[in-house]
Amino acid sequence: MFALEITGVDRTFHVAGKPVPALRDISLSIREGEFVAIVGGSGCGKSTLLRLILGLDRPDRGEVRVGGQPVRGPGLDRGIVFQEHRLLPWLTAETNVAAALRRSGLDSAQRRQRVAEYLDLVGLTAFAKAWPAQLSGGMAQRVAIARALVNRPRFLLLDEPLGALDALTRLRLQAELARIVRHGGTTALLVTHDVDEAVFLADRLVVMQPHPGRISDVLTVDPAARRDRSSAVFLRVRDKVLGMLGVETEAVRAGAYETAA
Amino acid sequence: MTIRRAVSRAIAGIAMPLLLLAAWSLIAREGWLPDQILPAPGVVLATLKEFIASGDLQDATLISLERVAKGFAAGAVAGLGFGAAIGLSPRLNRLFGPTFLGLAQVPLLAWMPVLILLVGIDEGLKVILIGIATFIPVVLNVAQGFRDVPPALREVGAVLLFDPWSMLTQIVLPAAVPSIFTGLREGLANAWQTVIAVEVFASSEGLGYLMAWGRQLFQLDLVLAVVVVLGVIGFALNWGLARLERRLDRWQVRPA
Ligand SMILES: Nc1ncnc2c1ncn2[C@@H]1O[C@H](COP(=O)(O)OP(=O)(O)O)[C@@H](O)[C@H]1O
Ligand SMILES: [Mg+2]
Repeated sequence: MFALEITGVDRTFHVAGKPVPALRDISLSIREGEFVAIVGGSGCGKSTLLRLILGLDRPDRGEVRVGGQPVRGPGLDRGIVFQEHRLLPWLTAETNVAAALRRSGLDSAQRRQRVAEYLDLVGLTAFAKAWPAQLSGGMAQRVAIARALVNRPRFLLLDEPLGALDALTRLRLQAELARIVRHGGTTALLVTHDVDEAVFLADRLVVMQPHPGRISDVLTVDPAARRDRSSAVFLRVRDKVLGMLGVETEAVRAGAYETAA
Repeated sequence: MTIRRAVSRAIAGIAMPLLLLAAWSLIAREGWLPDQILPAPGVVLATLKEFIASGDLQDATLISLERVAKGFAAGAVAGLGFGAAIGLSPRLNRLFGPTFLGLAQVPLLAWMPVLILLVGIDEGLKVILIGIATFIPVVLNVAQGFRDVPPALREVGAVLLFDPWSMLTQIVLPAAVPSIFTGLREGLANAWQTVIAVEVFASSEGLGYLMAWGRQLFQLDLVLAVVVVLGVIGFALNWGLARLERRLDRWQVRPA
C-alpha cells in the first residue's frame, strides 16, 4: 500500500487578480517507509505541495490521500519541520515538544516519558529547560525535529529544514536525520534545494520545474551512493540531477558519465 | 548583570535628576526667578514635611490613588476584552473598529460636559473619565497585539490540532503580551494624568485639588511638592508594571 498518493493535483493562486499556477498536474506515490526528496529551484511549488499534504491548503483539482484516506485537514499522523524552527518562543525546548502531545491522548506520565525519549533522540536532553532564544540555530531545529516526531507520525514532512543552517551544522544534521528517520521507520518527504543533501538522504528523487510547478523527473538513488559522498556513484547521481536543474558540471560537459549513466 | 554594571547604570539614571536639582537650587539661590514662581528646593521640602506631618498629603494621595485604581481597573478590564474581541475577529473589527477609532479622537476633557449632565459631578464622573483614558490605549495596543500574532506560529497550532482554547492560551496570548503591557503602561500614565486634571477642575479632595488650591493661594511650594509626589508615584507604578511584564516575558532572553 502507498503511504501517500497524489493524483492529478492542480493549485492556482490569484495574485492581484492574475492567476499564478503554483502546481500543475502533480502525481506522486510514496511507499510506506520510503524516503523521498523533492529538489527544485525556489518558486516551483514545493512548499505549496507540502501544505496540501499537511491539510493546511486544498487542491483545486485532483486528490491527496494519506494512508488511503483523502486529506481533509491537519492530523497527528503527519509531522512537519519548517525551514525556520517555528518553536514557540515562550516555551522551553521540553515544553515545545510536549505541546505537540496536547491532542495525543497520552496521560501526563506517558507524555513526560515520550518528550524525554525524543529529546534524547535528537541529543538535547541537557537543554530540556532552555528557551529557544538560548539555542543555536542547529539546536533549535533539532527541537523542531523532536516536536515533529514525538507523536510518532507515519509521515514526516521536511520543508528545507536545514536550509538556514551553516554548512558544518547542516552536514552534521544530515547524518542525524538519516539515522533518526531510518531508526523510526517513518515515511519521509524532504524538500530541499541542496542536491547533495537529497542524494545523501533519499531513496528516490523527484525533480520539479517552475512556472507552472510540475514534476519533470523521478529517479531512484542507488543505496551505494549514500555510503560515500565522494564516491563515483554519488557524484554521478548528483551531477545528473544538477543537469536536470540546468546546472552543467564540468564532468557532465566532458561526457564522463555517458556510458555509466 | 555584574555589580559594577548595576552601579554604573544606577548612577547614569540618577545623574539627570541631580543635575536638574542643582540647576533648580542655583536659580532659586541667585534669584533669577521670583520666589512666588520658583521656591527653593529647601522650601518645597519643608512644605512636603509639613503636609506629611499633618496627614493632608497622605489623605490626598490615597484619594487620588483610589480613583486611579477604580478607573484604571475598569478601563483595563473593558479594554482587554474589547481589544481582544476586535483583534481576534475581523468581523467584529469591521463592525466596531471605525466607531471606536472615531470616538478615540475626541479629547478626553470634551467628554466632561456630556458626562456631567449624565452622571453629575461626583465620584462617578472621575472614575468614568479615568476609565476612558485607560480604555483607549489598552484597546489600541491589545487589538494590534492580537492581530500581529505571526501566522507561522498560528500554523504550528493548526498542525498540532490545537483547539481554540489552546490556540489562545499557548500562542495568541503569549505573543500579545508585549503589546498588552504597552497598552497597560500607556493606560496607567493616562489614568494618572486624568485624575489630576479632573481633580483640578472638579473636586474638593485629592492631589489635583491640592495643586489647584496651592496655585490659588500662590503657594507654589505646595504645587511643586505635589509635582514631586506625582512623579515618584507615577515612576513607581510604571516600574511595578515593567517588573510584572518581565516575569511574564522571562523567555525573552535579554542581554545580561
Ligand atoms: N498563499 C499564496 N498566495 C499567492 N501566491 C502564492 C501563495 N503561496 C505560494 N504562492 C506562489 O506559488 C508559487 C510556489 O510557491 P512555493 O510553493 O512557496 O514554492 P517553493 O516552496 O518551491 O519555493 C510561487 O510563485 C509563490 O509566489
Ligand atoms: Mg518553499
